[in-house]
Amino acid sequence: MADSYRVEPDLKFVRQLVALGGETLKKCYQCATCSVVCPISPDERPFPRKEMIAAQWGLKDKLVGNMDVWLCHYCNDCSTYCPRGARPGDVLNAVRAYSIMEYSWPRWLGRIVVDSRFWWLLLAIPVAIYLVLLGATGHLHIPEGHIHFDKFFPTLYVDLIFVPLHMLWVPLVFGIGISRLMKDMQKNAVADGRAKRTGLNVPDFLRYIVCTLPVILGQFKFRQCTTNKDRDIAHLLVMYSFIGLFTVTGLFFVALYILQAPGPYSQVNPVKILANVSAIALFVGILLMIRNRRKEKGNMSKGGYFDWSLIILILGLVVTGGLTELTRLADWRYVCYPMYFVHLVLVFSISTYIPYCKLAHLVYRAVAMAYSRYSGREPCE
Amino acid sequence: MTEEHRAEEKKGSILVVGGGISGLTATLEAAEVGYEVFLVEKNAYLGGRVTQLKHYFPKLCPPTCGLEINFRRIKDNPRISFYTLAEVQKVSGNPGNYDVTVKINPRYVNEKCTCCGECEKVCMTDLPDEFNFDMATTKGAYLPHEMAFPMRYVISPKIIGTDDAKRCVEACKYDAIELDMQPKTINLKVGAIIWATGWKPYDASKIDNLGFEYPNVITNMMMERLAAPNGPTRGNILRPSDSKEISKIAFVQCAGSRDENHLPYCSYICCMASLKQATYVREQYPEAKIYIFYIDIRAPGQRYEKFYRKIKEDENIFLIKGKVAEVQEDAATKDITVVAENAVTGERIHETVNIAVLATGMVPNTAETKLPGDVKYDPDGFVVSDLAKGGIFATGCAVKPLDVVSSNQHATGMALRAIQTLVRR
Repeated sequence: MADSYRVEPDLKFVRQLVALGGETLKKCYQCATCSVVCPISPDERPFPRKEMIAAQWGLKDKLVGNMDVWLCHYCNDCSTYCPRGARPGDVLNAVRAYSIMEYSWPRWLGRIVVDSRFWWLLLAIPVAIYLVLLGATGHLHIPEGHIHFDKFFPTLYVDLIFVPLHMLWVPLVFGIGISRLMKDMQKNAVADGRAKRTGLNVPDFLRYIVCTLPVILGQFKFRQCTTNKDRDIAHLLVMYSFIGLFTVTGLFFVALYILQAPGPYSQVNPVKILANVSAIALFVGILLMIRNRRKEKGNMSKGGYFDWSLIILILGLVVTGGLTELTRLADWRYVCYPMYFVHLVLVFSISTYIPYCKLAHLVYRAVAMAYSRYSGREPCE
Repeated sequence: MTEEHRAEEKKGSILVVGGGISGLTATLEAAEVGYEVFLVEKNAYLGGRVTQLKHYFPKLCPPTCGLEINFRRIKDNPRISFYTLAEVQKVSGNPGNYDVTVKINPRYVNEKCTCCGECEKVCMTDLPDEFNFDMATTKGAYLPHEMAFPMRYVISPKIIGTDDAKRCVEACKYDAIELDMQPKTINLKVGAIIWATGWKPYDASKIDNLGFEYPNVITNMMMERLAAPNGPTRGNILRPSDSKEISKIAFVQCAGSRDENHLPYCSYICCMASLKQATYVREQYPEAKIYIFYIDIRAPGQRYEKFYRKIKEDENIFLIKGKVAEVQEDAATKDITVVAENAVTGERIHETVNIAVLATGMVPNTAETKLPGDVKYDPDGFVVSDLAKGGIFATGCAVKPLDVVSSNQHATGMALRAIQTLVRR
């Protein structure tokens, strides 16, 4: 580290962190309780005390692109023990929100997604696309007879929208974001002398991703948290139900186009069982998340939009999905088709906005965790 | 003070509640300018928290040094009436004219007591010793402490009706024990009241991450008792778990202080107390290593600043900026490991020591038990005096956390306020 360091506060950055849920950051008085009670922070240069002072001083470079911001799993042990209510956990969450925005491409879309004023716009985009598509192809009505989604919104159209979204758009945006994050993390790690190696050896890095995967899938880090033990279960349910639902989607895609076996499928079909179990797990998980977050003071703040928008979106997704299935089985077409429409709107939202919303953490945190092992900050378990 | 110099008798009387350093000062200041003062103390002795210390600031005297002269002044002054084991039960009236009901609990020992100690010798039951924070026990008949004023034994109400009590009566050669002594109620008419109800240490067991459940984690007030010559170890600082000598000790500043989850305020003197206690350890163990973990060292004023500077020069005392937030015990050695982040170097430290001292803060006694009459409190339970209305005042640590010097200054000021109420009537 240089002998002198000129502090150039980025006040706009501080204001943005406050708007993103870090409104308590100025309360910190640097007692360092947080860095001690954090169960997952390493002994060498632990977080989040140093992040708190960087946030107060508006040192954007020391926060955005700092791998430690991503090593934090937001279990809020630090906020529970914080003597001043400075809530370091929430501040780091705000830094992550800012980082997601900063690394997104195009950036304007990133700004819109985290801005609570534009929630309606995000939903209006798929609604408009669907209305134009269905209107132009003469599908804009409730079909007669037994419910068959293909009659209302042809599966081909659904796939024409979602396959490119998932296969091209999301990977492209994440690719750009990851390369930006990697560059900054390296710069930061070199600057503070933490990096044991400076260059980036891609095949080697991929090996570290592999050794990080069990930590992520087993939630080994999140499980070490103490004060919010319930959040571990909630997160586990949500994570695995998403993996389940994603698998189901892939299998049904294969069934439809390769095996030529269109749905709906029997309720005892193993894949269908997986779908239903995942949906129920997601419902339970998201309800637990809501309960856990409501228990914590301060989380209902305006800045909580970053978290709450995703939680509400997932809740909407699982509720509309469940109701669509139930009303289809009950043959209530006047409820079922509109419900399906709403469900598809929400599916579009979560698919398109993954790289811009809180859900992006699944990629950025994984990369940072792998980089932390690659750079020698943490051992490979 | 000799008779010749005593001020002439003034009209009006003042009630002072609490016989600690603030109450004593307020009492003496008002009485020595000629007012009648009633001093009511709930303990069996006067002197309050200061009596529990080994040394106190600013001159690091033992408590007897300052208290003896005050007791002498009380004895010499016919305008002071003091009551121990007494509590104010009711207050009514207006500034200049209050009716006060005081309940005096039985001591079961009369003025014939010579402190021979025969009664104590025949008692069988051990009782918790609150004066020594339960690090020792007392008998049912006991002297509160060696320099207690009034110098007279007390029989604990807990042994009344037991064989211990009967044995005490038989053992006493002076007819000093009266087991049928009853609580008494007295009524006082006073013009002004000064509450000097003091403080108690914050309950360290409420701080769930600082390991107070381990025997070798103690509070700063327990440290005073360990170091005091009249304490449970006769002033030898030894590990509570095995009475062994120590070579490493840690002080944990702001234990439950400046903390919204416990006491949100700074208790003013705990930093100085730990620096002072570091000198106790240095005197007994010249080789011992002393670690003081702090958020900020608060050494208010020029004198304290000077003291702090001297401590900082000591090569065996390590001051580390970073609050201890985790404490572990080694089950085999009973050593204590404190964990903190050194905020200057950014490294997390695990320091293993023989004793960890939690610098806990002051809780006003009025936080839980409210005072009779019209008294206002701040959110932390400290008394807020209505100076405009007058009549009822508070002083010392009932108002805010203070050291002895500031308590005395504050008490002198409040004595004047009380006198003003009497004069302006």
